[in-house]
Amino acid sequence: MSYKERSIWVSLAITLYIWFNYFSELYWSVQQHTLTTSSMKSALLTVVIMTIALEILHHIVIAIIDNKNANYDEDERDKQISLVGNQNAYYILSFTTIAAVIHLLFPLMSQGLVDALSLPSEYAIINIIIFGALTAEITKFSTQIFYYRRGF
Amino acid sequence: MGKKIVNNIRRLRFDADEMTQQMLADIVGVSRQTIVAIEKDKYSPSLEVAFKISEYFNVPLDTVFQYQ
Repeated sequence: MSYKERSIWVSLAITLYIWFNYFSELYWSVQQHTLTTSSMKSALLTVVIMTIALEILHHIVIAIIDNKNANYDEDERDKQISLVGNQNAYYILSFTTIAAVIHLLFPLMSQGLVDALSLPSEYAIINIIIFGALTAEITKFSTQIFYYRRGF
Repeated sequence: MGKKIVNNIRRLRFDADEMTQQMLADIVGVSRQTIVAIEKDKYSPSLEVAFKISEYFNVPLDTVFQYQ
């Protein structure tokens, strides 16, 4: 497994771990009716801080484990795989943007979704965007891993 | 069935004193995994990398890569 591929696997694991924590915290806040703007801001701040801290730690640990390739720069195949990953992520983000706009312009169309989420409308829109961005990120990493495993 | 790009890099490495994939990767400026992918016909390199490989082995480009 190349340095780059290993790095992507760890980033995917970090992303899943952090966002699973965020959405489970959100879920329990909704269930217990304790969701407020400040509790959501606090949860989002935790996500940002944990992402930065874990990404720094991940790069340090991988550089120590595989110190021979610590200064490895992307080659042309890495760049192409990265481009395909970004392209797939872009489709998801575009879809999310359209979904968010539809939700804002035609709230009745997405009333079912708001009811299912059990969130006030202003929280629903924020979390639709966050969920879309997260799905895009996971899609990017998954696409890259797929092409590294299958060959490109 | 469609044509695809195949190559003789494995044989050329063998003929060049059993050169390792890592050595070739360092010479042409890609990762060892990219050389592995090229040898298995899973990745078609850029023209630049293709020319670097043929230049290193001192053979014409169509000796290294064929479209068949």
